[in-house]
Amino acid sequence: MKRPSIYAAALLLSVSASAEEAIIEGNVESKCIINTDVNGVYGNPTPNKLSTLTADGGVASTIRYDVALADYYLARITTPTSFSTSPSLNDVVYWDGSTSVGEVSDSTMAAYDTDKVTYEATTEFDLTVAGSTWFNVTSVAEYGYDRAFPGGTYRAIVQAECIAK
Amino acid sequence: MRNVFFLVGVLLTTTTLGAHEMTPTYPTFAPSYVGGLASTELTVFNARKDVEFYQVGVFDRDWKPIPFATPDKLLHIPYTERTTFDVFVRDEDVRKAIYVCTLSKLRSDVPSNAIISSKICSRTDGNVR
Repeated sequence: MKRPSIYAAALLLSVSASAEEAIIEGNVESKCIINTDVNGVYGNPTPNKLSTLTADGGVASTIRYDVALADYYLARITTPTSFSTSPSLNDVVYWDGSTSVGEVSDSTMAAYDTDKVTYEATTEFDLTVAGSTWFNVTSVAEYGYDRAFPGGTYRAIVQAECIAK
Repeated sequence: MRNVFFLVGVLLTTTTLGAHEMTPTYPTFAPSYVGGLASTELTVFNARKDVEFYQVGVFDRDWKPIPFATPDKLLHIPYTERTTFDVFVRDEDVRKAIYVCTLSKLRSDVPSNAIISSKICSRTDGNVR
């Protein structure tokens, strides 16, 4: 009876001695994630104006870009120049918009705002730092010469692009 | 006028909509199992609640479209799911194919006021394995 218990003890010892190392593996690759954090909302401060500015009762769009590695991507944000949904409009709509850096996960990203390139309705940012950047996008539409927008639903699209360099 | 105020009021809701992600950043084309075509593989992760479909596009250096084929030109990717897909380009076009992009398609019948369209472009630079 003594022998089997010795064998059992030896077996248990050998099992614990043969425990293997657990290998945790991972890799970091460059990637860009576009997060649509807040939808813009048009306020209607005057009959001829739709605006996402806070002062006009609107809500600006917030888009967050996450980049895993620095200097791999360009962020390109285009503010609306037409409505995707609207009632029939028979006069011209004047569009204005802006894109600026809001919150940043790294203080050096603050330079994005001074280094940005703007052409027509598009603003381009070189994402030279890894981490998250929040961009605030505003849009203002004015109808004709002080004409009132007809009643109905108005929607416009902000395009957020992340382009590999 | 009252209608405008009403509708703007209805639209006064802000939401966190989610994310669009595509990898790899620098895919490489390789000869495919179909003669005369090169292919590359990409993965899209959809964490946008308001988007279910993504459109694929292949472009040259000047952002002119390049003919290509995918099993589905409009990818159906439900919320929080990941899809891997192949992009096929003719051998004669592969050197011109610089960007492969996916663009979120917004549905007009979704009750939310989704106004942000996201587009991510990987860069192949016409590289062939």
